Amino acid sequence: MVETDKSWSKTIFWGALVGLLYWALFHNVNTILHFAHTTGHACVVNQGGELVYFAEPTVDACAAKNGTMVQGNWLHVFIPILIAFAVSYVHGAFTSSFWDSIGFKAAPKKNKGN
Amino acid sequence: MEMIQFIDLNLTSAILLVLIGFIGGMVSGFIGSGGAFVLTPAMMALGAPGIVAVASNICHKFPKALVGATKRHKYGQVDIKLGLIMGVFAELGILYGKHVMTGIKRDFGAVGTDLYVSTVFVVVLAIVGGFVFRDYLKLRSQPHSDEHKVPKLAQWVHSIHIPGTMMYFNCAKANISLLFIAPLGFATGLLASSIAVGGFIGVPAMIYILGVPAIMASATELVIAFVMGLGGTIFYGLEGVVDVRLSMLILFGSLFGIQLGAIGTTYVKDYQVKLTMAVIMITVLFSRVFYIPGYLVKLQIIAPLPASTLNTLKLIGDGVLALALILGAATVLISLFKGMAEHRKQHETLTEAVGIAE
Repeated sequence: MVETDKSWSKTIFWGALVGLLYWALFHNVNTILHFAHTTGHACVVNQGGELVYFAEPTVDACAAKNGTMVQGNWLHVFIPILIAFAVSYVHGAFTSSFWDSIGFKAAPKKNKGN
Repeated sequence: MEMIQFIDLNLTSAILLVLIGFIGGMVSGFIGSGGAFVLTPAMMALGAPGIVAVASNICHKFPKALVGATKRHKYGQVDIKLGLIMGVFAELGILYGKHVMTGIKRDFGAVGTDLYVSTVFVVVLAIVGGFVFRDYLKLRSQPHSDEHKVPKLAQWVHSIHIPGTMMYFNCAKANISLLFIAPLGFATGLLASSIAVGGFIGVPAMIYILGVPAIMASATELVIAFVMGLGGTIFYGLEGVVDVRLSMLILFGSLFGIQLGAIGTTYVKDYQVKLTMAVIMITVLFSRVFYIPGYLVKLQIIAPLPASTLNTLKLIGDGVLALALILGAATVLISLFKGMAEHRKQHETLTEAVGIAE
């Protein structure tokens, strides 16, 4: 009983962290997508309240679309990498603990006789 | 100047992505490396351009590969030296593949990348699916062929000595020329940057050409997948085509699925895994075939077809893909529940017998 409680507390702890990470990701999704679109120079055009990004822009083509030129920064490529590492670590710990808590376990002895 | 297209995400598409990730992860955990092949077509079916689907799939995979490689290294199944060397050459393949993909996007637009990805998928899945099915038939008829035999081609590769290029690899227990490893790594990377699954070349190449035992090949592939995935995410990220929302939603479902799939493998026999793999591969292949006429029409390569025909073809493609996903999920879950029930029954019988004896 104590073991089960311990296992569930672990699951709830990691689950809460996963929830927090995904909340932070989707709460700031527009900023994160802006970074994703601006690893190189981009032209941002407001189309009916929605921002549309154009890659490899020229000043004239961007001006023709009433857009704004945005300076790119290659370091932005590391943002998805950091997010992927963080989510993978925390969520991996959660899912492993989750299946364990609800009783899905590997066969104690391999049943692979071929 | 071209528009960077990311799909509009709503609650339904987000739930679908999590579900697709779950099934893709389950298939991945069940059949080993290369299971993510259902994810790229599924993201494309939801409207993501081929280049975005491949880039986002690569981004969700590399941290998972690192976790897997670390775990299997503890069991002594990973040859880090071979993984890193092949990974470096695979990185060159990724770079070249990305160059091809961005070239197609520039010249033919996003639909050009859709056609390219779909065509590569159909060809690769037909070849690999055929080989896996042959393996299934072989395993079923020779139930006790577990011991590792170095294939004839690998024996020949081990016998070739090219001065200045030789290196010893523990996993193959042989000196192998880098001139053999370089093209294999390059091809693995090239395929990974085309469809986001490089393991289809990497694993069989290590087994049949380098003479690495299957279990070590699939574990070492995780090192290559990590190196390639990290590089691929950077290269595609610089093009602004990594959609982190897609990657993280897929990852959410996938991490649940991969562990369940891996648990499932402990309850089934090897040939059942091979059969599942072959059936899903061939079903996914057929789903892609139905989209190709639509892409050809959009690129004006063939004469326009009636809108109703194109819609019907797309609908059939979606349906066949859904069938592949359902088949994959059902096979893993049925194997798991059946295996667990049998195990419980055996355990209860044993407990009862011990009780009677006492």
